[in-house]
Amino acid sequence: MNNGLPDDRGHLNMNKNRIKLNRWILAAVLGVPTILPALASDEAEIEALKAQVQALDQKIRILERERELDQQGAADKAATLPQITIGANGFSFGSADTNFSLAVHGVLQMDTRTFGHDDNIPGDSGFLLRRARPIISGTVFRDFDFLLVPEFGNASPGSASTATTPSVFDAYINYRYSPAVQFQAGKFKTPIGLEQLQGDVNTTFNERSLVTDLVPNRDLGFELHGDIRGGLVSYAAGIFNGVGDARNTSNYSFQDNREFDGRVFVMPFKTSHTPALKNLGAGVGGGWGEASINNTLGLPNTTGSSTSPAQSGYTTDGQQQFFAYNPTSGSVQASGAHWRLSPQASWYYGPLSLFGEYAISDQSVETSGTVPLHSATLENKAWEVTGGWVLTGEEASFNGITPKHPFDPRKGYWGAWQVVGRYAELNIDQAAFPYFSDPATSASAAQAWAVGINWYLNKNLRADASFSHTTFTGGGTSTTSTPGSVTSHPEDVFFTRLQLAF
Amino acid sequence: MKNKFTLSLVCRVSLLLLLAAVASAPAKEVKLLNVSYDPTRELYADYNAAFTKYWKTKTGDDVVVSQSNGGSGKQAQAVINGLAADVVTLALAYDIDAISQQAGLLPAHWQERLAHRSTPYTSTIVFLVRKGNPKHLQDWADLVKPGVIVVTPNPKTSGGARWAYLAAYAYALDQSTNDDAQARAFVTKLYKNVPVLDSGARGATTTFVEREIGDVLLSWENEAHLAVKQYGADKFDIITPSLSILAEPPVALVDKTAKKHKNTEVAQAYLEYLYSAEGQDIAGRNFYRPRDPQVAAKYAAQFPTLRLLTVDDIFGGWQKAQATHFADGGVFDQIFQTK
Repeated sequence: MNNGLPDDRGHLNMNKNRIKLNRWILAAVLGVPTILPALASDEAEIEALKAQVQALDQKIRILERERELDQQGAADKAATLPQITIGANGFSFGSADTNFSLAVHGVLQMDTRTFGHDDNIPGDSGFLLRRARPIISGTVFRDFDFLLVPEFGNASPGSASTATTPSVFDAYINYRYSPAVQFQAGKFKTPIGLEQLQGDVNTTFNERSLVTDLVPNRDLGFELHGDIRGGLVSYAAGIFNGVGDARNTSNYSFQDNREFDGRVFVMPFKTSHTPALKNLGAGVGGGWGEASINNTLGLPNTTGSSTSPAQSGYTTDGQQQFFAYNPTSGSVQASGAHWRLSPQASWYYGPLSLFGEYAISDQSVETSGTVPLHSATLENKAWEVTGGWVLTGEEASFNGITPKHPFDPRKGYWGAWQVVGRYAELNIDQAAFPYFSDPATSASAAQAWAVGINWYLNKNLRADASFSHTTFTGGGTSTTSTPGSVTSHPEDVFFTRLQLAF
Repeated sequence: MKNKFTLSLVCRVSLLLLLAAVASAPAKEVKLLNVSYDPTRELYADYNAAFTKYWKTKTGDDVVVSQSNGGSGKQAQAVINGLAADVVTLALAYDIDAISQQAGLLPAHWQERLAHRSTPYTSTIVFLVRKGNPKHLQDWADLVKPGVIVVTPNPKTSGGARWAYLAAYAYALDQSTNDDAQARAFVTKLYKNVPVLDSGARGATTTFVEREIGDVLLSWENEAHLAVKQYGADKFDIITPSLSILAEPPVALVDKTAKKHKNTEVAQAYLEYLYSAEGQDIAGRNFYRPRDPQVAAKYAAQFPTLRLLTVDDIFGGWQKAQATHFADGGVFDQIFQTK
């Protein structure tokens, strides 16, 4: 007999399951109306949150972009602010568009000269503040440049630059229409001599060579100049007051004479692809003028002396007068035509520098005072060759040497070292003797060689040491005053210089 | 005798050196500087290459054209301040007038020297929107709705922004039967929706496209096409409104600078060649509307037809529009301050 229990249990279990299922269905059916609104509300909330996130995202992006634009605006504004530059090239400040600028530079040269025959002559050994120049340069209205260079150093004792009185060396205004067409007015270097035109801080030796005795220094005038095709051809031509050889004019000169000077210099391979020839150049400078009798600046420059009145003449490397217009009777003055011609060339290739120059100065002179009066046209000539080699490998140039590694012993850097040599001659026209110069005291020729070593500590500092030996032809009978005291024996001078230029 | 020999030798050496200088001279190369507005970079990159080739074939000379691009107003000021442009190709005539008046570098009648008042191509202002146009922006009226973010550059510095501003103003005048107060209220509302002002059109494109800011960029037509081309048609749509402005970007020779650079002939030819078949084709290729009817027909498909109003007709010319709307204290300054 089956009591049915198992079946009953099974039936009961089935019923229980059905009841559970029914309850779930009931709960689900009853729950739908309550869950659905909740789900819908979540979706709306999500959409609202999405919109909010998007809005916030946009706000953040806008803020970031505004910051970016502000930074850009600040950079743009900074580009319009005046620019200040302090560095090896001096101190300058200017408008952002570079139309206006002002720069301050300076040159200080402390020299020593030690003479081998220091016989109480004007060129006594000693220390010399050779140049002390604050330099102010600048530009106004984009195209107008100016330069002002006062000199507080002792230029050349007894020279026309007025030994120890501060004077203006350069003062000019330059209008740049284009690199090829520029117009300059004021006081500046006359465009003739190559060595003379080299910057005072870039000369190879302490003093320029004998050839520079025959070309003018600075003069007052107007000049048209420029560089054509990137410096392939450089030219300058101008009208000047006219000064004697090696003279540096004063700031005024009221005399009727005028001098026309000019120079053309060609660097035919400057744009070529041959490095060896890029810095090979040659040119010619020259000038012509008339010197009247009352032209006190017509005769050459002189170093003069404390014991002998300052006759015009020519000087040695040691800046001693070896030739003077010192006739045995009367005096000499410039009178009539004066022309100069100076072919010149230079070559810079890597550490090698080489340049040479020839100069003729043809001057009409006459005697005054003691009759009979004499007149003559004297043609004095000079030439020189200068060479250099930078031992440390830097490139030599007309505008100086920049050391690859500025002096810093802590790092083992010693700057740039250059060895240099020079030979020069100056020959006086024989017609100068005896009516215009005393052959017993003035030399009729001088020959000078010099060697030296230049140490470029950095772009601003330079230390030089050199030795110069000059021999003379003629003169030399007097030993108490120049030029006889100078020409009585060869001149040996040891120079040193410490230079700061920025 | 000796002197004569020396002089003769010097003269001969000098002559030889001069001849050597001339002989070693490179072929003639002419340089030009084209100072242009922001979105023309691609146009003039193409055009400069074509002109260089054309000029080489015609004369044998090499031309090197340099480009300077920026906001049109800023570029004009740069030229006034000394940027040595030989030619200017700016966004609007007023900016070139300013160069003429303030710097005197070209004559006042410069616009009469080339055809179509010195505008070799035209353009207009359209809407660049995100793909699918999620905010449903179809016309100017949609841009003033709350929540719409509009991107456009600063009309004080950007030529394109001035065209966009005037297009919106012209639309409002058209809708309100020339009620200036309503038009002013409309643009005030519009600029309330502008959160960022870039200085030039290219900057505004960067804001919209790369920084992903905003719902719509008021864009030069060519700039909008360029963005679609560059960033993909799946990212942006171009919406052409019912009405816009006829933008006429002019070109001009900067006489004094070109004369100084001795390149007047080349600079003039450079501008004239813009009107040639090739010049017009390059304009069309870069999404500018060519003036030449035949070339315009070739590119007609890429330029939808719409009502185009001119500055002369609606605002009495650029001088008047500039004085009224964009000068310091003008309408734009007033509405943007009240933003």
